[in-house]
Amino acid sequence: MTNKEKYKQAFSAIHASDDFSLEVEKMERTKKQHKFKTMISFVAVCVMIVGSATAAYAADVGGIQRTIQLWIHGDQTEATLQFDGNGNYSMDYTDGEGNVKHQAGGGVAFSPDGTEIPASEEELTEQLTAPDVEYEDDGSVWVYWLDQKVAITDKFDNGVCYVKLESGKETLYMTVKYQNGYSTSPHKYPNPSEFN
Amino acid sequence: MKPSVEILVEKYQSNLYAAAFNMCKNAQDAEDVVQDTFIQYLSHKKGFESEQHIRAWLIRVAINKAKNKNNTFFRRNSLPLEDYIETLTFESEESSELFEAVMKLPEKYRIVIHLFYYEDYSVNEIADILRVTPSNVKVRLSRGRMSLRNTLKEVWEDDE
Repeated sequence: MTNKEKYKQAFSAIHASDDFSLEVEKMERTKKQHKFKTMISFVAVCVMIVGSATAAYAADVGGIQRTIQLWIHGDQTEATLQFDGNGNYSMDYTDGEGNVKHQAGGGVAFSPDGTEIPASEEELTEQLTAPDVEYEDDGSVWVYWLDQKVAITDKFDNGVCYVKLESGKETLYMTVKYQNGYSTSPHKYPNPSEFN
Repeated sequence: MKPSVEILVEKYQSNLYAAAFNMCKNAQDAEDVVQDTFIQYLSHKKGFESEQHIRAWLIRVAINKAKNKNNTFFRRNSLPLEDYIETLTFESEESSELFEAVMKLPEKYRIVIHLFYYEDYSVNEIADILRVTPSNVKVRLSRGRMSLRNTLKEVWEDDE
């Protein structure tokens, strides 16, 4: 008997338990639920904001107004977001305890000659909708992205965790260093030594 | 091509279960992995080039899902591997020894050995499935074989 034959004979002993069945109907239902969730994420642009990341800007401005879903400290809530066209946004939302909050922020890019270019609405939205990490008081660690909330508390190995985030049309590879920042890429997991 | 999941379940359920068990060392986790793999297939929008492409894709997905399972905190460990092995019926004492020896290998050697000896994949095909280099597969295969030879003595032929 060759090694391959011996190996196959040995592993022919294992099989799924008698009460295990792959019910195709059940799988189809699960798939539909998954698709439904994905569709929701397209309808409601969900944004996650970390409180500390929002600089105080006097942003009593006009411009384009949007109502969006956002994550704040683990609660998903609805917010009204305004862009002023000069790289700033302001936002009003109701927090988990029912208090109305206001926060604002903005950003600039630099052209090759050093000139400041105000962030566009798309750039700001992209920044706001980027995944983020929150460390809760109970020690749990969460990644928030679009309509997803992913527990990563137990996925750290030597202080580094790799998370693959998937929405209907987008995949993001995220590397998180425990309480020391994170980075994402649509192509591969960023090397932990390449950031922070 | 995109065959119905019923056909694939019938054809590959045992292979996926064996690969998943090889990774997870736990029957319940392996069953979950098989289920999740077929759900992933149903959600997969693109077609496949060939039957071999589908088989490799299913095995890759099962291995990745098993890895994720192994990384979760709430991993099931209700039945220790030794107790599970006692419930199995092997055709010979040699088969039982071989099974135990394989399951004692580190995961990175175990899965390469499994894909080579159970699934009949070549080094290059294994490299493609695991997304590692062929030379990395060769090293893992060689070390896995050496370990099996040391443990099993004459039961395991020198086939390098």
